This record gives sequence, C-alpha cells and structure tokens, in this order.
Amino acid sequence: MMTAMPDVLEHVEQVQALQVDQPYVLIVWNDPVNLMSYVSYVFRSYFGYSETRAEELMMQVHQQGRSVVASGNREKIESDVAAMHGFGLWATLTKADAA
Amino acid sequence: MARAFKSSMRGYSASLEAAERKLMRGLFEDVIVLLEPEREADEDPLWAMVGLDPNAHKDHFAAPTDPATKRLLPDADPDDPLAALEFRRLSERGIRERKIGALREAAMLMDSASILLSDETAPRFAAAINDVRLVLAERLSLETEEDAERIHAHDDWSKAESVDEYLALVYNFVTWLQESLMQAMLKSL
Repeated sequence: MMTAMPDVLEHVEQVQALQVDQPYVLIVWNDPVNLMSYVSYVFRSYFGYSETRAEELMMQVHQQGRSVVASGNREKIESDVAAMHGFGLWATLTKADAA
Repeated sequence: MARAFKSSMRGYSASLEAAERKLMRGLFEDVIVLLEPEREADEDPLWAMVGLDPNAHKDHFAAPTDPATKRLLPDADPDDPLAALEFRRLSERGIRERKIGALREAAMLMDSASILLSDETAPRFAAAINDVRLVLAERLSLETEEDAERIHAHDDWSKAESVDEYLALVYNFVTWLQESLMQAMLKSL
C-alpha cells in the first residue's frame, strides 16, 4: 500500500539518530583574516567535502558569521576542533541541541 | 620582485627576494616564540612526546593571556569554561607542537630564493603563513571587514611612515603570497 508515512517515519528516525549518536557539533566562526580560499581548502581537504558543499559552508561562515560544519560524538568533534585550531580557523564545539 | 605561487610539475613554486625571505623567516620565528610552551628544566621528555602539558594536572592551568597567542589557540567551548580548560589540558600542547613544526619548516624553506612545496609540505606551509597573518592581524587590531579594507588600502612601501603602516604592508604581502598558494592548491584538489 502506498503511503506518505514511510518518508515521515524515516525522517523521524534520522532526527532521533542525530540526537542519540551525534550530540555535538563543530562550529566555524567568521573572522576578517582567514581567506575564503583557505577556508574552502580546509573544508575540502580535511572533511572531504565536495567543492560545492565546501563553498556553501564557507559562504555561510562569511555571510552569517558562523556555520555548523560537522557533527558527531564529543570525542570526534573535539578532535575536529583541535584540527581546525591547527589550521588557524576559529572553531568551537557545542551540544547539537544548543547550536 | 617576488613571484607568486603557481603549480608546477614538482609541486608549488614561488620565488622571493633576499629581503622578503629575511622578513618571512623573521615572522615565522616570531610566531614560534609566541607558541613555545614554557619548559621546566627537569621536564620529563615524555610530556612533549605525548603532546601533554606538564602543568596539565595543576589547578592554575589557564588560557594564554597574550591576545595573539589566544587567537592561535582559542577556547574550544565558550559556553563551558571548565570544558574549554579541559580541552586545553589535553590538546593545547599537541596543537602548539604541530604549529611550531610547520613554522620551523616554513622558516627553513626561506633559505633558498626559489621555494618549492610538495603536496605534503604545502598544507603545512599554508597553515604556517596563516598563523603569521593571524598574529599580524591581532597586532594591527584587525577585527572587522572595514578594518580589513582599511589595511588592504596600504600599498606603497615608500609612503610607510609608522609601524602600523609598515605592518599593514607586511600583512598585505603575506596575504598576497598565501592567496596565490591557496588558488594553486585548490586547482590541484
């Protein structure tokens, strides 16, 4: 039987999975020093994002002041933050529901 | 006259005049001094090997007080000062050591007029040059996009009369060099 429900249920499951398995997010903040080209390069090379996705996140940082760039458990996000600080990007972590 | 970075068969190449290389070497070394952790004479080398700070267990372990150092090593968790400090205890020494390694390598690359970066070296060089720009920006009080534009407008070395005007020209030169490298590296990704 065809129904719209499976899509809805799938969506609910995804949201729950996000809350259970990925309780932390990595935020990259805008600053007037880091070059747009450098930020794009870091997003592509470190996270493996496509050119389009990296540009989108970089523009979000630039225009909106910040962007949620990754999510995961605390340990993973802490290691991402350390990597971003290594690159000189202004990155912080927070709980996913607070972002 | 400096030649900006471009892709070549063997990596990324640029050439700098002797005075420019001396300037860059000095900048890399200045940032190393900012980042070098205070070492105690009797420090167990194991601390450095595992990337932990020997003061990590102490109560007075704190964030850097110098604003430029703080910009290189920002708080990881601004909502939770205790968690931010815990992050510093566990990660800061390792981040400092990695940055210092990249800066030392970059300073050594300034020994030769033609600079050639391999695919492996280039990201470390880009990070080192970025750290130099962050420190210069802090010294220039570069905080807003308007500040960035004001500093960018300085382009005549013969008209530089103050330390800030000179620093602005240095900042623009380093920015130009990094931008050329990033454009070349993005093309090769």
